[in-house]
Amino acid sequence: MNAHAPVIEVDGIVTRFGENTVHDGVSFSVARGTLAALIGGSGTGKSVLLREIIGLHRPTAGTVRVLGTDMWRAPPAEVAVVRRRFGMTFQDGALFSSLTVAQNVAVPLAEHTTIEPQMREHLVRLRLAQAGLPADAATKMPSELSGGMRKRAALARALALEPEILFLDEPTSGLDPTTARGFDTLVRSLVDNLGITVFLVTHDLDTLLTVVDRLIVLADGKVLADGHPGEIARLDDAWIRAYFAIRTMVGGSPGREESPNRSDGS
Amino acid sequence: MRADAAAGTRLTLSADGLRLALAGDWRLAELPSLAPALAGMRPRAPLAVDGAALAALDSAAALALLQALAAAGMQADSIDWQGFSAPHRRIVDDVLRRSAALAEVPPHRRHRWLAGIGKHTEVIYRQSADHLNFLGETLMAFLEVAVAPRRLRLRELTAQLEQACLNALPVVALVTLLIGVVFAYLLGLQAEQYGANIFVVDGVGIGMSREFAPIIVAVIIAGRSGAAFTAQLGSMRLTEEIDAIRTLGLSPMQVLVVPRVLALVIALPLLAFIGLVAGLAGAALVADAMLGIPPAAFAERLHGALAITHVWAGLIKTPVFALAIAVVGCRMGMHVGRDTRAVGLATTSTVVQSIVSVILLDAAFAVLFQELGI
Repeated sequence: MNAHAPVIEVDGIVTRFGENTVHDGVSFSVARGTLAALIGGSGTGKSVLLREIIGLHRPTAGTVRVLGTDMWRAPPAEVAVVRRRFGMTFQDGALFSSLTVAQNVAVPLAEHTTIEPQMREHLVRLRLAQAGLPADAATKMPSELSGGMRKRAALARALALEPEILFLDEPTSGLDPTTARGFDTLVRSLVDNLGITVFLVTHDLDTLLTVVDRLIVLADGKVLADGHPGEIARLDDAWIRAYFAIRTMVGGSPGREESPNRSDGS
Repeated sequence: MRADAAAGTRLTLSADGLRLALAGDWRLAELPSLAPALAGMRPRAPLAVDGAALAALDSAAALALLQALAAAGMQADSIDWQGFSAPHRRIVDDVLRRSAALAEVPPHRRHRWLAGIGKHTEVIYRQSADHLNFLGETLMAFLEVAVAPRRLRLRELTAQLEQACLNALPVVALVTLLIGVVFAYLLGLQAEQYGANIFVVDGVGIGMSREFAPIIVAVIIAGRSGAAFTAQLGSMRLTEEIDAIRTLGLSPMQVLVVPRVLALVIALPLLAFIGLVAGLAGAALVADAMLGIPPAAFAERLHGALAITHVWAGLIKTPVFALAIAVVGCRMGMHVGRDTRAVGLATTSTVVQSIVSVILLDAAFAVLFQELGI
């Protein structure tokens, strides 16, 4: 197994909604075992791009390869196999509201594996623990959970089949800073301890500057910058400067403030 | 690699039981094939586990391995892990660290039928009390409107009237017409045997005006508008629109409930009257075709046989039915739980509750009219 082969390859993605061009040739790839983040202003099509990568929305042109499979040209059976190898959490969790948390996590296991119920039950507990949920959350209904717990439960469900890639849509939005940082640590540990590749869409600067390995900035339908968050924060671009300025305003991380003007035309 | 498919080569225990060698793919997908071998092994302490030949290991497989070892009486902390690559070692450690949390599997909630009956009884009791409470609140809101008529939201009221009254006309007219046809046909079959064809007009006239038109129309409206009220208000509660109305200093009772209740109280008598006319028209069709009573004769007989009291007795019930349907529909929507499933349940419940309450009210009216001699 090649440890650094790209697991997500996005090539020349063009997306149009009627007259409106959202993406105009977006290309990047993400290597195995990376924690990559996608940022961009409102309306730059971050969520649309995510939906295109996981095969929910067809791009106007371009190719998406996940784990080597072309998500839009491969036969449905092959795509179905790939779907089992990645997990996804939606912004509001999208937990099935008629099932308990444990039943939610058990759905993919019951659907796609033939393991015994006893083992499945234990595996569900392991997933809940891996997502940082207390054991008594298992029997609760999604409506009884707080926002942070709901995101963790969604993460546990996404982890159920031990995916190779995890896609997270705004994992820390709507969480208080302490809970959000806990979630960051959790995601980081999934990458470090379980070797999962994580691709997330976020607006959370703290997530970007503390746990992310790789930052992809989307602007004007193209990839504006791609690299380590610390390097990107120093790029000379109006939007990027404004984006990271919020952080320096509240006196965030020193060492990232000193040379905000260094430019390298990436 | 093909040989690895057999669980035997992926899991080799030395003859003395002190050394367990793992090889090949240890993943969730392969667990079913690994399970028998895991369950059948008899290791002995002090055990060494060799992971040098592992191609892949995930946390599900690590969990299965650790549980099998625990089941065989091995202490997790006395196992010697050898030859594991760093990533694999981290996965084993991760699962080991969490195994304490796995031990305490919370007990299942058990459902007992007696407790179930008790719970449901309590729910029905509470719900009835809440409905009465809400009826009181609604009447208070109406009083406020009566004191200051400018508070009435006319735009919302007309919108609701269009929804509940105008748009319901076709279905109400069609259903009651067919009921009139069927009713006259069945009565006609009996009356024909005695040559008492003309009495079909009496029967249909009194039956439609006193019972059929009000009840049928109320049931249609309960299914149509009552359910719509719950679904609308329920989703508004879900999206916190009702909270927004409250924080803007407006009263949800005035903005949402009063126009709906008032619209239904106005709409139902009108619709019931339309239903009555359509039902009689349906009966007249059958009377003409089957019983040889031409429409003119039908109308004349109806004029003589159907006292206006019967029509009033039927129509006077409908605003009360409307109040019950609207109050149930609005309350179920306003108090729905904050998840999508609850909205569906509440909508179903609204239809059942409002139909039952319409029937109960009708029975009460029957007793009342009996006593009053109407």
